[in-house]
Amino acid sequence: MSDRTLAVAFISPALLLLLAMSVFPLLWALYLSFTDYSATRGGPAHFVWFENYTAILASAQVHLRALTTLIYVVGAVTLQTVLGFAIAYLISRRTRGRGVLTTLFLVPMMLSPVVVGLFWRFMLDAQFGVINSMLGSLGLGQVEWLTRQRTALISLIVVDTWQWTPFIMLIALAGLTAVPKYLYEAASIDRASEWFKFRTITLPLVWPLLLIAVLFRAIEAFRLFDLVYILTNGGPGVSTETLSFHVYKVGFLGFNTGTASAYGILMVLIVIVLTQLYLRYLNKLKED
Amino acid sequence: MRLATAAMLVATTMAACGQDDGAQSSAPKAPATIPELTKDPLTLKFIWFDWPPAHALEDFANAEYAKERPNVTVKVNTVPNANWHDAMFTQFAAHKTDFDIAVLDSQHIGEAVTNGNILDITDFVKKNIDVKAYNPYLLAAYGQYPQAETGKRDENASLYGLPLLGDTWTMIYRKDLIGDKPPQTWDEMISVAEKCQTDNPGVSGLAFHQANGSDAAAVTYNTVNGVYGGNLWDAKTRKIDGVLNDAAGQEAMDVLVNKMKPLTAKGSGNWFIDEVNAAVAQGKACIAFNWIAASGGLLDPKQSTLGTTREQILDKLGFAPLPSQKTNLVPLGGMGMHVSAYSSEANQAEALNFMKWFEQADIQKKWAAAGGVPARTDALESPEFLNAGPFNKVYADSVPRMRDMWNVPEYARLVDIENTNVNAALNGAKNPKDALDDIAKQQQGVLDSGNRKGGGGL
Repeated sequence: MSDRTLAVAFISPALLLLLAMSVFPLLWALYLSFTDYSATRGGPAHFVWFENYTAILASAQVHLRALTTLIYVVGAVTLQTVLGFAIAYLISRRTRGRGVLTTLFLVPMMLSPVVVGLFWRFMLDAQFGVINSMLGSLGLGQVEWLTRQRTALISLIVVDTWQWTPFIMLIALAGLTAVPKYLYEAASIDRASEWFKFRTITLPLVWPLLLIAVLFRAIEAFRLFDLVYILTNGGPGVSTETLSFHVYKVGFLGFNTGTASAYGILMVLIVIVLTQLYLRYLNKLKED
Repeated sequence: MRLATAAMLVATTMAACGQDDGAQSSAPKAPATIPELTKDPLTLKFIWFDWPPAHALEDFANAEYAKERPNVTVKVNTVPNANWHDAMFTQFAAHKTDFDIAVLDSQHIGEAVTNGNILDITDFVKKNIDVKAYNPYLLAAYGQYPQAETGKRDENASLYGLPLLGDTWTMIYRKDLIGDKPPQTWDEMISVAEKCQTDNPGVSGLAFHQANGSDAAAVTYNTVNGVYGGNLWDAKTRKIDGVLNDAAGQEAMDVLVNKMKPLTAKGSGNWFIDEVNAAVAQGKACIAFNWIAASGGLLDPKQSTLGTTREQILDKLGFAPLPSQKTNLVPLGGMGMHVSAYSSEANQAEALNFMKWFEQADIQKKWAAAGGVPARTDALESPEFLNAGPFNKVYADSVPRMRDMWNVPEYARLVDIENTNVNAALNGAKNPKDALDDIAKQQQGVLDSGNRKGGGGL
C-alpha cells in the first residue's frame, strides 16, 4: 500500500463524517432557506428565492431580537473581559496557591449550561431565592430578577458572566505568564511605577491574546439559547428573547423550516463577516 | 466560485431527492375492526409531559391492561411540559416516532391531522365505542377535527382521538382564611382575595399561571376573557382582530392586569402549575387557580405545610368551580389519545385495542379511582370518581361550562403570541391595551397567512 493510499484510508472516515454531519446539513439548510419547505407540513419544497431573507431582514420582531442580542453580547463580554483579566492579573502576581485558585475559578465553566440555568433560577427566585433572602437580611427589598424587563436581561448577563469569566481568565493568565520577566526587571531598574509597567508592558503584550478570547466569547454569546430557555423563556414578554431563541421558535413552533434555515444562515453570515473584520484588526495589531 | 456552485447543485439535487411527494396531506384511516393482535411481547409506548397523571397512567395500565394482554407492557415516555409539543411534532416531522400513542392537547389535533401524523379513527369509533356515553363536547374536544365550536359534537365530523384525561381549572381557597363559602362571582373573589391579603401579611391574595411558556399565561387570560363575556375569535369568519380585543376583551385584560395581578406574590410572573401548587402547599396564597389533574399533590402531607394529615389539610383547603361573572365559562383542559401514523401495524393494532379497553365504563371508573379524570358521563357521575378526590366534583360540575381555544393547525404560533403578550402585560413590559391589540393583530396575521409556507412565522 502506497503512502498516498494509506493517507487516504486514514483521512477518509473523518472526512466522510465531517461531510455528513457538518457540510451536508449546512448546504441543505442553505438550499431550504430559498424554499417554502415546512418539515411537518411536508409536500414538495418550492423556490421562493430571497423571500425568506427579505422577510427576516424587514421584520421589526427580528430587529428587536437583534438589539436584545447585541445588548446581551456587549454587556456580558465586556463584564467577563474586565473581570477575567482582573482576576488573572491578581492570580498571576501570586506565587503560592496559584494552581488551586485557578482550578477553583474554573469550576463554573465545567458545568452544563442547563445545570447552571436551573441552579441560578432557584438562586434568583423572587420569593424563595437565596439572593433575595440575602438582600432581605441586609434590609433591602425584594428584586424580581427574572420577571422584570431590565433585571431579566441583567440576570442573564450576570449568570453568563459567572459561568464564562473563567474562560477569559484562563487565556489572560496564559498571556500574563508568557510576558518575559526581563522586561519588568528592566523597568524596575529604571524605577518605573507599577501602573507604568502595567500600561506599557503587561497590557500591550496580553492584549492580542485577550482579543482572541473576546472573539470566542462573543461568538458563543451571540448564539445564546440554553440560559434563556431555562432562566426566562424569553420573558417577560419577549424582552430577553435572543436571535437563537427566536430561530428555535420559528423552527419548532410554526415549523417554518425554510424561514428558520434562512434565519440561521443569516446569523452565520453575520458572525463570519464580523469575525473577518475583527481578525483583520487583530492582524493589523500584530503587524504594528 | 465553481466549488460553491457545484456544492449548491449537489445540495439542491440531494435535497430534492429527500423531499416527499406531498401525497400525505390528510390523516390515514384506521381499520374499523381491530386487526389480529400479536402474542409476542410488545411495548406500547405513549408520549406525554411529565406530571402525576402520566405516571398514574403507566402504573394503572400495567396493573389493569396486563390482565387482558399479559404480553404487553405500557410505557409512558415523558418530557418537560415546555418541550411536549416539540418532542411530538419533531418526530412526526421525521415520519418516525418512538411512541405509538401521542397524548395530544385538544389544540394540537388540527396540526397533527392536517399533516397526516395521526390515524383517522372515525370508523373504528363507530364500530367499537359507545359515543352516546360521553358528553358530546368532551368527545369533540379530544378527538374531533374540525373542532365543534358550538359545543355540540358534529356527528358527521371525523374523529382522530378518544379522551384520556379530562380537566379544567379549580379554585383552591383557604377555608381557614376566607371562610367555608367560596366566592360566587369573579368580582367577589377579587374583593375576598384583597381582604385576605390585607388581613394576612406574607400571604398573597391570589396565585395563578403567568408564565410565558406552554399555554400558561394564555389560559389565564382566556379564562378571565370567558367569564367577562369575551370571545377568543369568530370561528366561522376566522376573525380575531376586533373580536378578542373588543370591549369585553379589554375589560378582561384590565381585570387581570390591574385588579388580579396586584394581589399576587412579587416575582410570580413566571409561575405555572408547580409554582402555584408550591405557594398553596406552603400557605402563601389565599385563593389559587390550577388544573384539577395537577392538584393531587396538595393533599400530600409530605409536600404541605398546612397539616400533617390529609384531613388537616382538607380542614384548611377548599376546592370549588370557578366563580362566574357575565358568563360561567371555564377552560377546557385534559387530553386525548391519538395513534401515531408512523407506528408499526402491530403496535397500531395494540393501540386501538388499548383505547377500546380503556374507554369501557368499568375501566373508566377504575381509572378514576386510580387518580385519573374520566370523560364518560357514567364514570364522571360514579361514586368511584366523586369520592376519589375533593376536586372531582368540581370537574363533574364544570363539564357543561367548558370552553376550548382555537383548534387549528396554527395553534402553536397563536398560543405563543398570546403567552408572550399576556406575560408582558402581567410583568409590566407592555401596556395591557397594547398587549391585547398586539395579540389580536399578530394572531390575525397568522390566520390570514392561510398556513402559507415560507416568509412567515416571524
